[in-house]
Amino acid sequence: MIANLIRRILPRGLLAIAMVLIAGCLFLTRAQTSSKGRVEAFARLPDWSGIWELDAFVGQADGQQFSADGQRRLKYYAAALRPSFTPEYQARYDEIQKKVEAAVAADPAHPPVTHQPLCDPPAFPAILTPGMFQWRVTPEETTFISTVGAVRHIYTDGRSHPPKDELWPTLMGDSIGHWEGDTLVVDTIATKRRLYMSELSGFFVPMSDQLHFIERIRMINPDRMQIDYTVEDPVALTKPIHATIIHARVTDFNRMIEETDCEENERDPIVNGRFTTVVK
Amino acid sequence: MRSTFRISAVAVLGFVGTSAFAHHSRAMFDQTKQVELVGTVKDFQWTNPHCWIQVLVPNPGDPSAPPVEWGVEMGAPVELMRKGWKPGSLNPGDKVTIVVNPLRDGQHGGLVLSVTGPDGKIIGRPAVTTQ
Repeated sequence: MIANLIRRILPRGLLAIAMVLIAGCLFLTRAQTSSKGRVEAFARLPDWSGIWELDAFVGQADGQQFSADGQRRLKYYAAALRPSFTPEYQARYDEIQKKVEAAVAADPAHPPVTHQPLCDPPAFPAILTPGMFQWRVTPEETTFISTVGAVRHIYTDGRSHPPKDELWPTLMGDSIGHWEGDTLVVDTIATKRRLYMSELSGFFVPMSDQLHFIERIRMINPDRMQIDYTVEDPVALTKPIHATIIHARVTDFNRMIEETDCEENERDPIVNGRFTTVVK
Repeated sequence: MRSTFRISAVAVLGFVGTSAFAHHSRAMFDQTKQVELVGTVKDFQWTNPHCWIQVLVPNPGDPSAPPVEWGVEMGAPVELMRKGWKPGSLNPGDKVTIVVNPLRDGQHGGLVLSVTGPDGKIIGRPAVTTQ
C-alpha cells in the first residue's frame, strides 16, 4: 500500500534511488550494530600489546652473558622440569643421553648436533623461550608471533580440535583456547612427539602421540606475563609435569626483526653430524 | 654458569641460551678462557644467523710477521641492535680490542664478549628490560 502510494507520487527513477537509499540505511544500521558488538568483544579482552622475552634473558649484557638473576631464573626453570618417565620412556631417555654423552666426550670441541634442524623455528613448547614475542589478541584467535620464525594460532571461537584423522604432528600443533576472566586457557595437541632436554648440548626425547599441553596464560603485572603449563602424556610420563615460565616486557626495543635467515651467512656448518666453524 | 647448569638441567621448555645461540651449541667455545685480540677490522658482517668480525691481529713479539686473521662470532643483528650496535658500528681499518672465549678446536675464532672501538670505548651497552 505504501509502495503504491510512493509509486504514484514519485517517478520511477526516483523510486529506484529511494529504494537503494533505504536499503543502504538498513545495511548501515545493521553493520553499526555488528561493529558495536565487535568493539565490545575486543573491549572484553586484555591488552597484551608490546614486545616480550623470557625473563631469564632480562639484563643480558653485551657478550651474551646472562645476568645473575637470569642465571637464577634458568636454574629455577630447569629444576622445576624433571619429567617422571614410564620405564619404557626412561630407557629411551637413558639411551639417548648415553649416546650424547659419548659423542660429546669423543670430540668436545665439535658438539654433536642433537637438535632439530637448527634454523627452523623450534617446535612448541620450545618456541616459548628464544627471541622476542608479540601477542595479537582478537575475539576469534590469539596469535603468538616470535622473532625466531614461528606463529602460533590459538583459536578462541569455540571450536574443538579437528577430528583425529585430520591431525598429524606439526611444529606448533593444534591449539584451541578460551578465556577465564583475563586468563587464556590453551589446549594443544598434535605437536611433534618429543620434548627438548637441555642436558649436555641439548637433545630431544621421544614422546607418544598422547602428548598434550594445557597452558594458563595471564598478565600478572604490566611488565610480566605468566604461563603456567601442564604436560600430559600417559604413555611416556607417570605423572603430568606442572611448571611456570614468565615473559618480561621489553622496554629497550620496539621492532620485531626476524633472525633465522641462516642461509645469509652460515659459518657454523654441520659436518658429519657435528658443529664446525669457518673462521675465514 | 652454564656448565653447572647443564649438569642438573632437564628443561622441557626449550633452548637455553640467547636466541642467537639457540641455533648452535656454545660448547664449541672454551668458556673458561678469555683471549684479548688487539688488531684492525678487516670486515664486519652484519648478518643472520650471526654477526662476525674479521680482525687482523699482528704478533706484538714479531711486528714483521704477517698479522693473523681471526673470525669471531657474535649474536644475531637484532640482538646486537638491542645492545646498542648498528650495522655501521665497525668499519674496515678500525683499530679494536676484542675479548673472546676462544674456539676449543684451536682455530683462530671465538665468541665475542666485548669490543672496544677506535675511540677507546666499549661498543654497545647491556640490554635493558623491566626488572
